[in-house]
Amino acid sequence: MAESIPASLIIDTLKDTFREARKELAQEVAEPPQHSHLGWILSVPDTHQKTVLAALDKEEQIRVLTCATEDEAATIAGGLYIGGEPVALMIQHAGLYASVNTLRGVAMDGRIPTFYMIGLLSREKDKAPRESRHSMVRYAEPLLDTFGIPHATLEGPDDVHLIPEYYRLSRQRKGPAVVLVGLETI
Amino acid sequence: MATDVKPGPMKPEEVLRLIAAQRGPAICIPTMTTGPEWRAIAPNDLSVGCVGFMGGASCLGLGIALARPDRRVLVLDGDGSLLMQLGSLATIAGAAPRNLVHFLFKNGVYHTSGAQGIPGGLSVDFVTMAKGAGYRAAFAIHDLDDFKRRLPEILKMEGPVFVELHTGLAEQTPMTARGGVPFPQQVTDLRAKLLRPRATT
Repeated sequence: MAESIPASLIIDTLKDTFREARKELAQEVAEPPQHSHLGWILSVPDTHQKTVLAALDKEEQIRVLTCATEDEAATIAGGLYIGGEPVALMIQHAGLYASVNTLRGVAMDGRIPTFYMIGLLSREKDKAPRESRHSMVRYAEPLLDTFGIPHATLEGPDDVHLIPEYYRLSRQRKGPAVVLVGLETI
Repeated sequence: MATDVKPGPMKPEEVLRLIAAQRGPAICIPTMTTGPEWRAIAPNDLSVGCVGFMGGASCLGLGIALARPDRRVLVLDGDGSLLMQLGSLATIAGAAPRNLVHFLFKNGVYHTSGAQGIPGGLSVDFVTMAKGAGYRAAFAIHDLDDFKRRLPEILKMEGPVFVELHTGLAEQTPMTARGGVPFPQQVTDLRAKLLRPRATT
């Protein structure tokens, strides 16, 4: 049975992920960007991950930029990548559907590593997302499969290791990689 | 159906040449009809052109500007393009990058796809929108001599700055002048110029 994940665990994991990304970049390039923060969250507010977004408001080591649309978030992420900054997108499934062309044009065709955390709002605790009675939940994985985008689902606190793994995967394959947030965070 | 286009007094190619001459080490983000001419003026330099995700230039520029506050970033946007991600005005204003200048080449049409009129045509007031969104400065320029005179100051202003440039139609579009370096290669090249990868043995 799926479990909710505490916001603090997700944020600590993101911090570690960004620290690792900066360390690796510093080994690879001569002029990495110099900032006091660890990385960026680009969000279009997501009910499903609202506890994380609320906790990030008090977090000084991660910069949060609220975007008007998911198209913007994906494109800003591309610019941050060009400049060497670690970044994660936090959106919900409806935003994935709304921004498919940008996902294709920027992250896929542009070969830009883009790490998404996508909330499955209204996903039933006792059902696989593909079996949900809500189309927004049900179509997320098939859509990602159609585009050949690797994805995994956070089904509880034990799964947060998927965050750095899929972040790294986005870098390795130079494209998008997604973790779906199975239940509303706490 | 194409609208009755009344070209502005400025040729976009002349505007771009002025920007190229004075930009220094600024990173430039052309899109749609500013792309082909910019490619000719400034090949292989600190630029990345947006093709394939219309409307994205302003946000690509925002991301680079936030990552590299030590560099000035110049977005060379189009009116039809900006309308596709109009919310980016608020997102840019909210992020308030001091190093971003957002040039809008306003011609009232979707030139690349056949010069169909944009919604509202030339009457759309992007300056008011940018001001309302919260840009630090926003103004229109109609005349090339005026642009030439003000450009040095514009390039030093604290951003985000929005400049609506009243232009005619470009001689080339991405449809009539295809080619250029593919977008992913431009991304790789610009990233390498900014970060300078260490040589591997």
